Amino acid sequence: MRLLLVEDDPILRAQLREGLEDAGYVVDEADNGRDAHFQGDTEPYDAVVLDLGLPLLDGLTVLKRWRDAGRVTPVLILTARDNWSEKVAGIDAGADDYLTKPFHMEELLARVRGLIRRAAGQASPVLRCGDLALDTRSGRVTLGGQTVTLTSHEHKVLDYLMHRPGTVVSRSELTEHIYAQDFDRDSNTIEVFVGRLRKKLPPGLIETVRGQGYRLAVP
Amino acid sequence: MRAGAGSLRLRLLGATLATLVVALVGAHWWLTGLFRDHVLQQFDASLTQQLDQLTARLEFDAQGVPVIGPRAMSDPRWEKPYSGLYWQVQRLTVFAGQSSAVLRSRSLWDAQLSLPDDALADGTIHRHHITGPRGEPLRAVERSLKAAEQAESRWRLMVAGDLREGLAAVDRFTGVLAASLGGLGVLLTLAALAQVAVGLAPLRTMQQGLQRVREGRQQRLQGRFPNELQPLIDEFNGVLDRNAEVVERARAQAGNLAHALKTPLAILSQAARKVEPTEFSALVGEQVEVAERQLHWHLARARAAATHHVPGQRTALEPVLASLLRAMGKLHADRHLDLGADEVAPELAFAGEEQDLQEMLGNLLDNACRSARAAVTVRASRDGAWLRIVVDDDGPGIAPEQRAAVLRRGVRLDESRDGSGLGLAIVVDLARLYGGDLELTTADAGGLGVRLSLPAAT
Repeated sequence: MRLLLVEDDPILRAQLREGLEDAGYVVDEADNGRDAHFQGDTEPYDAVVLDLGLPLLDGLTVLKRWRDAGRVTPVLILTARDNWSEKVAGIDAGADDYLTKPFHMEELLARVRGLIRRAAGQASPVLRCGDLALDTRSGRVTLGGQTVTLTSHEHKVLDYLMHRPGTVVSRSELTEHIYAQDFDRDSNTIEVFVGRLRKKLPPGLIETVRGQGYRLAVP
Repeated sequence: MRAGAGSLRLRLLGATLATLVVALVGAHWWLTGLFRDHVLQQFDASLTQQLDQLTARLEFDAQGVPVIGPRAMSDPRWEKPYSGLYWQVQRLTVFAGQSSAVLRSRSLWDAQLSLPDDALADGTIHRHHITGPRGEPLRAVERSLKAAEQAESRWRLMVAGDLREGLAAVDRFTGVLAASLGGLGVLLTLAALAQVAVGLAPLRTMQQGLQRVREGRQQRLQGRFPNELQPLIDEFNGVLDRNAEVVERARAQAGNLAHALKTPLAILSQAARKVEPTEFSALVGEQVEVAERQLHWHLARARAAATHHVPGQRTALEPVLASLLRAMGKLHADRHLDLGADEVAPELAFAGEEQDLQEMLGNLLDNACRSARAAVTVRASRDGAWLRIVVDDDGPGIAPEQRAAVLRRGVRLDESRDGSGLGLAIVVDLARLYGGDLELTTADAGGLGVRLSLPAAT
């Protein structure tokens, strides 16, 4: 899952980035409203963590512009002003959740997980597909109750597919969501990751749709 | 307008009426005096004329005895006994055996006029007030003369008339005058009342305008006022504007302060949790939380304290509630709650800041959404000067014996805050700053029922 992190304070941004990456997210950064708007407008993020107090363009305006342009990416706003009028203004501008500074990293991760899950139409924090289960809170993957050990990239691919069971996901889409913007992407590596996943999971779970991409088979 | 020591109306009326009374009483006294003098003058003139006539008729016979000539005095009252008009001729130098009154008008009958002794120069006329034969007050005029033929004897001629007729006229005049002046006084009083009412009408308009500002139906004093009042109105509007500006600036500064402090606090908090737990990191984490709590608390208080005395505040309930319910629906989307507000009447309004209402309702709704199982309901009504808002949830509720403690936490800063699972402390504090209150009960649905009372705006 690929996130956009918008925060103007470099120390807090680094802390958040570290926390998010530790949780398995791919993170792109922006430190001002103008860049944030551009990135959010052009890249397919799974969620955005948006600080409201930003230089050049404030967070609320950035958010409104995305929503006006039809971007539905879930957005979590970070705000220092914790009164309800600010929160309501944020929600009315199109935010999906808010977090008041200072906050705990666990709280931020829980909110981001919830946002991504809800955006994919999943109600439970534990994603299931037949015997396969992925707990979004711990990142643990089990097959019939037995833990499946995955590498970071394998996990990212499975996580993305598990959020969209039965939907065809193209290679380029997968690439966009498991690599950061400045990463030298090679879509052939996706095939490698999928191949490894297939070996660890029941046969036929990840189907290849010729010329289109991959699909997680719903039993 | 209230009457009292400070009443402008009473002052104006008092001054006007006092002047009026002094003027009318003075006019009465002066006019009455003038008329009395005039009546007496006329009376004296007529008596003097009679005296002249008497003098002209007086003759002396060969023995020096005075007689009234053959051409009798013309006025019939001389002949009628006690008619009220008398004359008398008296010897001034009386020898033994002689009667002093030598000649009298027939009207005197057997009485005699007695004048006080008087040293008279010949020819001059003197006036006296004396008592007549029947005890009536008489006005008398006299003169002395010497017959040219008798150098040794001098004579005193007097004419007297009954003064009561004249005095009655004066009394009649006094009565009529008093009635007229009284009537004039009543008219002038009415005019003064009307004048004061018309003159003070703009003040009344101003008072009503101020009341509307206080009730929050207007932001400023509107309309044109007389030249004397307009500067005051302009100044007052200036103060209102400035007040709003100051509040807005204070709010912005508070927000900036929060923003400036909270990012460093967030960094500290992250850093403290990042390292291996030590006494130091625990201390930092703990103190960051305390600092954040204090910040939140004091900002809310400062904002409320700055705004709740500002006149002219009016916040309609319905839009605030609708936006909060919309936000709650999104924030608690996972819980699939049934969030409902029973038809909130559009005229219901809170006499205070919009942000404060949002803060109170936001916290209450957020709490309710966190504890509810399936539904949160909001009801609102007007109860006299109060706006009653009820937020019910169907969650586990709070046991009656714990409710007081939950609310009391609001008093003690270090124990307040979400640790208890409820952000009620701020709500209680804000409500009380506005003179309202918060009460915890059991909701019909079994959960917690929060009853918030706030001053209503008309």
